[in-house]
Amino acid sequence: MNITVSAHLHFCGECQRQVIEYESVAAVLFEQQAAIAVAKDGFANLMERIESQPVSKPSKIRTAPSRFPPVVEKLMTQGTDALSWKKPMKNLRVSQLLTDEQGLTLGLHHMKAGCRVPQHTHRGREISLVIEGGFSDQMGSYGVGDFITLSTEHHHSPQADADGDCWLLSLVEAPVRLTGPFGWILNPFIKA
Amino acid sequence: MASAAIKTGRDNIGRVMTQQQIELREHFANQLEKVAASQDTHAFEAIYTHFSPLIKSFGISSGLSYQGDHLPEELVQEVMLSIWRKAHLFDRRKAAPSTWIFTIARNQRIDILRRLRKYQNDLNADDVWELTSDTDLFGEIRDTRIQKNVNRELRHLPPEQKQIVAKVFLEDKSHQEVANELNLPLGTVKSRVRLAMQKLKLTMGVNEL
Repeated sequence: MNITVSAHLHFCGECQRQVIEYESVAAVLFEQQAAIAVAKDGFANLMERIESQPVSKPSKIRTAPSRFPPVVEKLMTQGTDALSWKKPMKNLRVSQLLTDEQGLTLGLHHMKAGCRVPQHTHRGREISLVIEGGFSDQMGSYGVGDFITLSTEHHHSPQADADGDCWLLSLVEAPVRLTGPFGWILNPFIKA
Repeated sequence: MASAAIKTGRDNIGRVMTQQQIELREHFANQLEKVAASQDTHAFEAIYTHFSPLIKSFGISSGLSYQGDHLPEELVQEVMLSIWRKAHLFDRRKAAPSTWIFTIARNQRIDILRRLRKYQNDLNADDVWELTSDTDLFGEIRDTRIQKNVNRELRHLPPEQKQIVAKVFLEDKSHQEVANELNLPLGTVKSRVRLAMQKLKLTMGVNEL
């Protein structure tokens, strides 16, 4: 969840500004706390630790502006082609990035430009964030930085915008389920 | 007329506070830059002396000590180590030293809790919650405008609102957790947070900036 929010912040100046405000409030409160004495030998221990460890080079400064939000790039250092992909539905490929503490799975979804994914619904709550391109479905159209929440009551057939592929980050509690006329035949073959 | 007089008084208090804050901020920004430029251990010790008791305090108030008595001290060590290593990333135009150090402490606390739960993945909290924003959009605003407002307004918050704001923003507790802790209805907690945020002039900044 944090990764998705962080990725959204990459696109959304308004939310970034709010986070900065909240951090500033926290920092002011942080400064106003009652000081609590630390261990006497703390600084000596710390310096010993610093001296005994090899000097680490200053971390790399980001070279070219990255394509996806930095937090997403860090999950696919070898690029998108090196990820393992599944094709749960026509015109959609999905790669699982990781599963978080709450058991939510973070995935990357890729739809080819202009392609439509068959009508389906979701077994649990699904939160998506558009990180490149855009798509539309029966409920609206979405662009980079937009969050979309879907659940069992939503049936949709998303179509990627014609002018480029659409990439989404998605958080799912459970795999999707096809609801189109022949969906029930395919459902047993869908794996998360 | 009366209200105008009160308002001026408030502003004066605000300015006195802010002057002290500015000096402190300048001082520690200089020290951080010295650490970055020449690995100056005296500057580093000055930072340690001022901030480590605050980091420990944060470790305790945010509940780390429930997981282990040694953890607040461990947090101090990890945060200070991180400051030493990342001092070159500090940018005084983007963040006040206290804000920068607070964000490191927050991230290190998350990492300590995740290590305890044996939950690991390829990302650590610094990857998710970046220390310095990529954008220059806010630059000076972050320091001057927001911190000044917050500093001034925080002094005038009723204690019960300030207490709740500290629990939510600093100690990283959910509204529900705060309600349980203080034995208050959830709605009361929520409305106090909302009131406090209005007084701190948060979330409506669009018109201000």
